[in-house]
Amino acid sequence: MALAQRTGRSRRRLILLVLSAITLLTLDLGSFGPLGSAQRLFRDFLHPVTNVAGAVATPFADAWNAVFDYSDLQADYAELEAERNELKGQALSVEAERAAFQRLLDATQITYVTAVDKQAATVVRGAVGNFDSDVITIDKGSQSGIETGMAVVTAAGLVGRIDRVDATTATVQLLSDQNLIIGVRMTSTEQVGLGHTDKSDPLIFEIDQGLDWPEDNDLSLLPKVGSVVVTAASSRYPAEIPIGRVIESVNPDGEGLSLTVRVEMANDVTNLGYVTVLLAPGVDQVPLGPVVPSTSVPLDIVENDGAGQ
Amino acid sequence: MSLPVRVGAVLILALVVQLTVFVDVRVAGVAPELLTLVAVIAGFFVGPDRGPVIAFAAGLIWDMYLPSPLGVSAVTLALVAFAVGSLEEGLFHDSRSQLIAVAGLASAAAVVSYALVGELVGVRGLIDLDMLRVALIVGVLNAALSPVAAPIMEWALRGQADRR
Repeated sequence: MALAQRTGRSRRRLILLVLSAITLLTLDLGSFGPLGSAQRLFRDFLHPVTNVAGAVATPFADAWNAVFDYSDLQADYAELEAERNELKGQALSVEAERAAFQRLLDATQITYVTAVDKQAATVVRGAVGNFDSDVITIDKGSQSGIETGMAVVTAAGLVGRIDRVDATTATVQLLSDQNLIIGVRMTSTEQVGLGHTDKSDPLIFEIDQGLDWPEDNDLSLLPKVGSVVVTAASSRYPAEIPIGRVIESVNPDGEGLSLTVRVEMANDVTNLGYVTVLLAPGVDQVPLGPVVPSTSVPLDIVENDGAGQ
Repeated sequence: MSLPVRVGAVLILALVVQLTVFVDVRVAGVAPELLTLVAVIAGFFVGPDRGPVIAFAAGLIWDMYLPSPLGVSAVTLALVAFAVGSLEEGLFHDSRSQLIAVAGLASAAAVVSYALVGELVGVRGLIDLDMLRVALIVGVLNAALSPVAAPIMEWALRGQADRR
């Protein structure tokens, strides 16, 4: 009897928890403001603690990586050895400082979108969970003017978008996330389309929506291999941010209708140390036009028909 | 120190270690999931009545750092803790080796459940073959960590295990 009562109470409590979770999910998916504020408050409150704990944990993490990433270290060593041979006579310590400085310059010397204010930031953390490898955390947040949806770049081009903002940190959804759709323009043909990263290769960007195969199979109308692809004016982000260079154009359906353009990305987003946030608010994606032909009858035709009857 | 304070302290400790140590310390790119481990041990020690409540709280604070919507980990861990508490109540007797086995299996199940619930609410790309690899490694890592985590949870939950 007591066991049955306890089981019933456990189930009721579990149902209550599930209902609470559904409520939270619904509010969060609906971008309920106070819930977002409460989460930001919690993360901001814990930020100093994680900062200090991170500093304490770094030697342990370094030791772990030194032991278990030995093959990577060997590759790094070989690369450094080659570099040393190439740059004889220069002290390695000076060279390392130069390399770090160059990395910072590469991330902050933005030669495009010059009219927009920018904020340089350091990558402080990679993925925290096991399913969010396409997310990084940077050391600048709303106190530095950063807002959700802003474009994150390096000197080479687009890296991703601001996904979540706290007071002193922000998380970036990287371009390697194939769910991040970008409106782009191909400079050689002036065509615009929508694209995303190739799931199997995070360094390849595929433009697979909004493009048609050239009429009469005229291959000279295809985007030129090596030509530059940039963000389109109709995208969520400022126009003219480089994405990469065209490597091939393919006809995925084999019937000469649709066109997919594969682009080698300018950035390797899997290895970022510094980034720059373009302080231009993100806007909603502007549709490129009806993907499915409209079946509605234009209003003026209906009115004319009605008048005739 | 009261029970909620002790449990809260353990949850924050697990979160901070997860966010600092296990961002870099990974096996084949996979990190152990400490908050899942806390949830599983809570289910094991205090049963299906109170275990899911602690697991829900663990999932909720973990959700604040994950890109998935708030509530996905919370509901997943609550369900897993309920299952662990119910199974443990009917089948097992408390012992360290059983705890290690349960921690491993339930943690792997939690990873799979998280992916399923995530896909259900619109998070894409969670269910694939790599999910099984992640679940397996998380199960092994959490099982290995459970002898360390169990005494901490015993301290946090002292006096509660007898009230099942």
